[in-house]
Amino acid sequence: MSEGPSPVPSTRPYPGSVGQGGRPQPANLADILERILDKGIIIAGDIQVNLLDIELLTIKIRLMVVSVDKAQEMGIDWWRDDPMLSGRAQRLEQQNRELRDRLEELESGDGSSTDSGAGTRGKS
Amino acid sequence: MGRARILAQGRVGSPEMAETGRYLYAVTRGVDAAALEGVEALSGGSLELLEHRDLVAVLSTVDLREYGEEGLRDNLEELEWLERVARTHDAVIKAVAGLGPVAPMRLATIFLSDASVRQRLDEWYLALEQVLERVQGRLEWSVKVLSGGAGPEDVADAQDRPTTGAEYLRQKKARLEQRVARDAESQEQAQSIHRALSGRAVAGRLLPAQDPRLTGHQGTMLLNAAYLVEADEGDAFAEAVDASAAMHPELVVDVRGPWPPYSFAMLEQR
Repeated sequence: MSEGPSPVPSTRPYPGSVGQGGRPQPANLADILERILDKGIIIAGDIQVNLLDIELLTIKIRLMVVSVDKAQEMGIDWWRDDPMLSGRAQRLEQQNRELRDRLEELESGDGSSTDSGAGTRGKS
Repeated sequence: MGRARILAQGRVGSPEMAETGRYLYAVTRGVDAAALEGVEALSGGSLELLEHRDLVAVLSTVDLREYGEEGLRDNLEELEWLERVARTHDAVIKAVAGLGPVAPMRLATIFLSDASVRQRLDEWYLALEQVLERVQGRLEWSVKVLSGGAGPEDVADAQDRPTTGAEYLRQKKARLEQRVARDAESQEQAQSIHRALSGRAVAGRLLPAQDPRLTGHQGTMLLNAAYLVEADEGDAFAEAVDASAAMHPELVVDVRGPWPPYSFAMLEQR
């Protein structure tokens, strides 16, 4: 947030702009995605993936790549309601898990067992 | 009770099948496996080459729990997963591009067997040959031209403040006209840069301007282009870009490369 206005009027929107010397390899994720999703050879494989949504996907990514502060500045804050991106889904999942564990405990007839944690399962 | 059973079943999940698929990164020619040793494949696996006629498919084995239809649907939404896969995919293609002509496949092109890969190579054989022919010994350079944002007129205008409403409107209209004229001029300059660079490249391709809200760039993106350049003329091409940039100090010119020839390795419509 506190980048402050640059005193230099000439904007250099990309770190690799001509004049700064050197031509860095394109390592920007958004640039890579643009190429490996939109260009190159598109042949249907045996695994059908719906890449039609890819535009939306890259938009999401770019928004995540630019700083969250900046996006919010621009009034873009829809991910707050996007369970994929917010922690909400995770919380729901955890609640479900806890409920399932509770149910299992009750079903097993051993109603007296208190929180025993998850340490007993999966050890071999 | 019945409900609990359903929940329990859901948790057991599908039986362990450990199915694998063949992830295709690229198709090339005349590359031997030794040269790609040490290049990391997805999931920490190693790259394999599958020769078919005079084509060489660059592959690795992936777990279908992660790369199957269901897995991909979820994973493509996971930014960290996607970034890892995207960078690995790109790195493999860069490595191949350093060895021979490369036809890069789109992310997540996955087959269930080598036989299926061979079948697809047969089906697209001529088109793939054409692509490899076109990109042989050539690399891609990306050039973007952006207007520098506010022009000097805007600053000058700010100094003589309007004294009446009519004066204000007149100035506003004049400013708007200036901006339209300036935009048209910038657009023309960008086109002239494109023409000059096209003359130095084997081929040029105009790409859609990127959305500033997404890239965070300032000013207007006047040109977003890709050029296919002979591998040994890369430096000369980059110098030509510099020369164009020097002729238009009011524009910002961004050059990046070399890339594998992604934008020129596209199949013609059959």
